[in-house]
Amino acid sequence: MPWYLYLALKQLFPTGKKFPFFTAISILGVALGVAVLVISTSVMSGFGREIRRWTVDTTGDVQVRGEGPVDRPADVLARITRVSGVVAATPFAEGVVMLEHGLTPAYPAIEGIDVDHVTGVIPLEQYIHYGSLANLDDDSIIVSSQLALKVGARVGDKVELYSPLLIERLKNDEVTLGRELKIVGIFEIGHQALDSSIVLVTLRTMQDLYGRRGAVDGFNVKIEPGLDADTAASRLNAALPPSLHARSWMEINHDLIFILQLEQNMIFFLLTFIIIVAAFSVTSSLLISVVRKTREIGMLGALGGRPRQVAACFCFQGFLIGVGGTAVGMALGRVILYFRDDLIAAFTRITQSEAALERFYQFRQLPAYYSPAYMRAIVICTIVISTLAGLLPAWRAARLKPVEALRSE
Amino acid sequence: MSDAVLSARGLAKSYLSGDRRIEVLRGVDLDVAAGESVSIRGESGSGKSTLLHLLAGLDTADGGALQWAGAPAHGDRRAQFLGMVFQSFYLVPEIDALQNVLLAARILRVPDAAARQRAADLVARVGLAERAHHLPAQLSGGERQRIAVARALMNSPRLLLADEPTGNLDEHTGDAVIELLLSLCRETRTALVLVTHNAAHAQKTSRQLFLREGRLGGG
Repeated sequence: MPWYLYLALKQLFPTGKKFPFFTAISILGVALGVAVLVISTSVMSGFGREIRRWTVDTTGDVQVRGEGPVDRPADVLARITRVSGVVAATPFAEGVVMLEHGLTPAYPAIEGIDVDHVTGVIPLEQYIHYGSLANLDDDSIIVSSQLALKVGARVGDKVELYSPLLIERLKNDEVTLGRELKIVGIFEIGHQALDSSIVLVTLRTMQDLYGRRGAVDGFNVKIEPGLDADTAASRLNAALPPSLHARSWMEINHDLIFILQLEQNMIFFLLTFIIIVAAFSVTSSLLISVVRKTREIGMLGALGGRPRQVAACFCFQGFLIGVGGTAVGMALGRVILYFRDDLIAAFTRITQSEAALERFYQFRQLPAYYSPAYMRAIVICTIVISTLAGLLPAWRAARLKPVEALRSE
Repeated sequence: MSDAVLSARGLAKSYLSGDRRIEVLRGVDLDVAAGESVSIRGESGSGKSTLLHLLAGLDTADGGALQWAGAPAHGDRRAQFLGMVFQSFYLVPEIDALQNVLLAARILRVPDAAARQRAADLVARVGLAERAHHLPAQLSGGERQRIAVARALMNSPRLLLADEPTGNLDEHTGDAVIELLLSLCRETRTALVLVTHNAAHAQKTSRQLFLREGRLGGG
């Protein structure tokens, strides 16, 4: 190992010193910045992934819709599944109903699903916590967990549904009753909005409730793994008549994804300043070290050390602090993320804000995802900034002439 | 002097102090032969350290010529040609005594195994084999200076320049360090230029000079 790198190592980790205080504080400063960056970008990435998960798990990778109700859905379904890259597709019809259990009303969104095809696109079964999708028929219903809780319904209970069509009939003084359905399942996706306001029925039930006579609102489409959803949507648009329009899950949630990405980038940008502040403290410490070691630096020059080697010694210290800070910060960030739900639970218990958190952020658990791109950016930025932090002290050390350094008081 | 390890002719150096130019050295002539030891005494501020820095090629003279072993002195050759010992030792505090000695060889990229053996021999020769792995802070002043002497001799220099090496030591320890310095230089036929205030130490060298009004003369 070159002498200047050896000396840099020894100055950071002196022989015989169990706890190098200066090094520990410098590394900790950088590590805290890295940990905050890791936590914030991972949580933001987690939100993005969570949105993708519940979007894809509830609507498929691509959604095909008509300008109005789509007639002859079987023909359209056949055309969709012939498109290259499409794995499966399932029709749906949607609307809003009034649901009544006992005397408790609710106004959830309703979705009619094709029981035979839906699981090929949407992994519904994995979200059904009570009951079973297999029991869903034209006289039954599956409700979301928060809704069931709200109206006090359980599997086996009966609820009544009133659609806009029934209400229209009431307006015309027709005697009509709500459609009585038996709850055969309760699902929970983990997203507050979806878990509190959706019910699922068969496509036929939905068509009856809305008087659709076989028409559907659209198709949820699953594509091959690895295939870009936008590409698949383009292929579908090319293959389908102009009255039908395919949109990827990204396009459907474009605004939300854009805001999330913007927030993520802004957070990364702003939090990078924490590392810059930490880097300034590293610069300050190394500058003090250069001043303190002025005569030693002069001696190294007298022994034949070149200015650029002396500079490398201090620059390398900045680099090592950056590497150490990154490693410790990454580990710290991961540990905090591992216990994130416990930490948040404790925090919300203390501040009595559990309900507000759930209502406002829509998620019952804090999602996190270690985005390789962001992790790479954090590592590179931190090490580069820390190395740059060593440049000023290095430059000052390199400028010292041995004779002046040896003469200094 | 044809076999001169060091040859200085008319070395001059002046400094600006405010508006005044102070002539510190006004044409210093000095020849030192291999194995010879020369002491330079002078009053405080007479320019002894300045002269030593010029002889070491650490500073540039305003006038005159300096040769090392018959060739013009050049900073690139310094580390190989000469060793230096200072009043304040200047050991690196974060590494042990042996590593401090070894550092001089590392800077010159001397192969590690050979350098390690020589460093260990030198540390033993200055009587600190058992303290080789102690940090400078764990050594006494005299021990630190002996390590500094070993470091100065690490690259087998032909010339050793010592700038008041006993200035920070008590009389007894200082005497021991001077004895060590002289005996090592004799053993290795290394030329020695010793700057000192101590007349007794100066008397132990083969030639005594005095720096007065910018010129060197016999003591």
